[in-house]
Amino acid sequence: MRKFRIAALALVGVLAFSACTVGTQNVDTTSAEGEIRGTITFQTWSLRAAYRDYFEKLIDDFEKKYPGTHVKWIDQPAEGYADKISADAAGGTLPDVVNVSPDLAAPLAKAHLALDLDRAAPQYRDEYLPAAWKSSRIPGMKGTYAFPWYLNTGPLFYNKKLFAQAGLDPDDPPRTYDELFRDALTMAKRSKGRIATLASVPTIEDFGRYGVRLMNKSGTAFTFDEPKGVELLRRYKKLYQAGALDRQAFTSTPEQAGRKFMQQSVAMNPGSALDLDKFKKDAPSLYKNIGITDAPNNTGSPNMYVQGLMVNAAGDNKATAVAFAHFVTNAENQMAFAHETTVFPSTKGALDTEYFTRQDGTDKTRVRIASAKSLDTAVNYTPVLLSEDMKTALQNAVTRALRGDESPEKALKRAAEECNRLLRLG
Amino acid sequence: MKTATAAPPGGAPATAPRRVRRHLPTSPWLFLAPGLLAVTAFSLAPFLLTVGNSFTDNRTLVPGGFVGLANFRELLHDEMFWTGLRNSALYVLVTVPLLVLLPLLLAVLVQRHIPGITFFRAAFYTPVVASVVVVGLIWSWLLDDRGLVNGILEALGAGPVGFLSDPWLLLLSAMLLTVWKGLGYYMIVYLAALTNVPRELHEAAAVDGAGAVRRFVTVTVPALRNTMVLVAALSSVSAFKVFSEVYLLAGENGGPAGEDITLVQLVQQVGTGLNGRVGYASALSVVVFVVTLGLMLLVLRANRKEDA
Repeated sequence: MRKFRIAALALVGVLAFSACTVGTQNVDTTSAEGEIRGTITFQTWSLRAAYRDYFEKLIDDFEKKYPGTHVKWIDQPAEGYADKISADAAGGTLPDVVNVSPDLAAPLAKAHLALDLDRAAPQYRDEYLPAAWKSSRIPGMKGTYAFPWYLNTGPLFYNKKLFAQAGLDPDDPPRTYDELFRDALTMAKRSKGRIATLASVPTIEDFGRYGVRLMNKSGTAFTFDEPKGVELLRRYKKLYQAGALDRQAFTSTPEQAGRKFMQQSVAMNPGSALDLDKFKKDAPSLYKNIGITDAPNNTGSPNMYVQGLMVNAAGDNKATAVAFAHFVTNAENQMAFAHETTVFPSTKGALDTEYFTRQDGTDKTRVRIASAKSLDTAVNYTPVLLSEDMKTALQNAVTRALRGDESPEKALKRAAEECNRLLRLG
Repeated sequence: MKTATAAPPGGAPATAPRRVRRHLPTSPWLFLAPGLLAVTAFSLAPFLLTVGNSFTDNRTLVPGGFVGLANFRELLHDEMFWTGLRNSALYVLVTVPLLVLLPLLLAVLVQRHIPGITFFRAAFYTPVVASVVVVGLIWSWLLDDRGLVNGILEALGAGPVGFLSDPWLLLLSAMLLTVWKGLGYYMIVYLAALTNVPRELHEAAAVDGAGAVRRFVTVTVPALRNTMVLVAALSSVSAFKVFSEVYLLAGENGGPAGEDITLVQLVQQVGTGLNGRVGYASALSVVVFVVTLGLMLLVLRANRKEDA
């Protein structure tokens, strides 16, 4: 009996201990009043290596503009970024200003850790493109939870030499999914399965660009299992069977897919402006034959990647954090950052300036102007509420369908059900 | 008083034993305190927290409430749990016999005193000290569709083999990596044990006409039985908890459609990230703990039966 009592007491203690998590329900997410002074922490997402000088000057300028402030800058690598934020948030050490994408802002907003800028800083709203300002709104919640920062459409690189070898026009890359599937099958046939056109399975952005409705209007259920989604998977399955999709696409990381593109065993691969320098240095023969185009789409609206700056609602110096986040994302500083690399400002009027409209005959400017123009109609296809585990559920379903383990209908239906279940869990 | 007045055999001062006795109750605890504190803080407390969490629906950022056995009921209906359990069990079944036998054979081979043998000892041990991440990356390059192994196979007319795209081959590749990396470690354990096998037994067996194989089976193996049990216990626990090798070769999803996921990788997948289901991941961890404990007990019981 004594042993039983001790065991029961231990169990009660353990349960009580496990209930002791840091609660954030009482955090004020609606105001950032106070003096602009003191120390704040600013976290970027894999930017230090390439843009150290830009950020150090930016921070110096802010500290000069607001005497008595001090900004500690930390940068996290791209890999495991969400896990790092998650650990900081759970441990109560989330930086004051955090670089986030909308899908990372959503769980933080739900946990009452993101400041609602519609209420805490509405005076800045009109400085930004309306679509960019809305990008960090969460379905089912009121408010905007991050300052819009830079935008990107993400170029699609292709290997002109491989296109020419397959008898395809190297100056006319596929622009729609019909053209992509046609060219990919041709490439596979003429290379006898040696050259795959793609190295990755379709993601949620592909479903969006193909014209699949991803969520219902109220944001309460995923709808990517509609017939158009099934059609997309059927067509990808044909690619896989013909060898037009790399055999290791199911397990490839973006880095591995990029490596295959650099080895010239894959003809097309998405990337960023930073990749051009990498090709020049590590794969000069590829660089000579590199082609740049937009990812194919059937909707007329390319995908837009949005980066934002979230202000930690539980921070000690919220007024300073808001001032700094606005300073980094104001028109002047966003334009300065756009001159550093091929990204696009989210402030009103910036895309109409000469830098984004006047040709100077170079490839770089041509790509910049084309991408800036496409932002007029661009859409962020990744649903804000699509979490990492939902992405995994979708990718597993796509794999099962492409490998023939399940019909595309059944695989997508199961994935949508799983995503909706996870969505209900919150 | 008797002990205080009795003269010790060596003629040491008669008061010494009393002083020692007075300090006995607290001194050991003082010596143990740093270790106990570390174990409590970094092993016991997290373990208890995990057990407690397994009865809640806590998430990474959102505290939950007590849900009783709901997480355990859910995992019974979770397809990925059964896939993970299957793969972890297969990992034990395949790697443990190999890790018990192959290092023993290697140890017997490198035990001989022949010129240059230290080179082989060092070579076999090298994978143990190499970082698993580095080794995993090298293996993924070797086994790639266009890697060295497939290049050789293609040159021999065998065609590319989907080591990294076929779920079963992927799992097998990860198992081989585990075995290759563990050989050197267990070889050293066996080498140490082999020095305790009496040379006379081998000599007597040789005089009786036993050949090398016979001596290995009838002398070496019985003499090393306890070490083999230890190796079996250690390797089965680490095989059941395998993570790095599968993660590095099969990717963060655990292979095509998660077909190669192991239980520990599932814990990582479910429990981390901004939407991590800490409660459910804890329930999975408790299952891993129970099965691991069961494996240990099974190995020890098998050993005891043989002793009897």
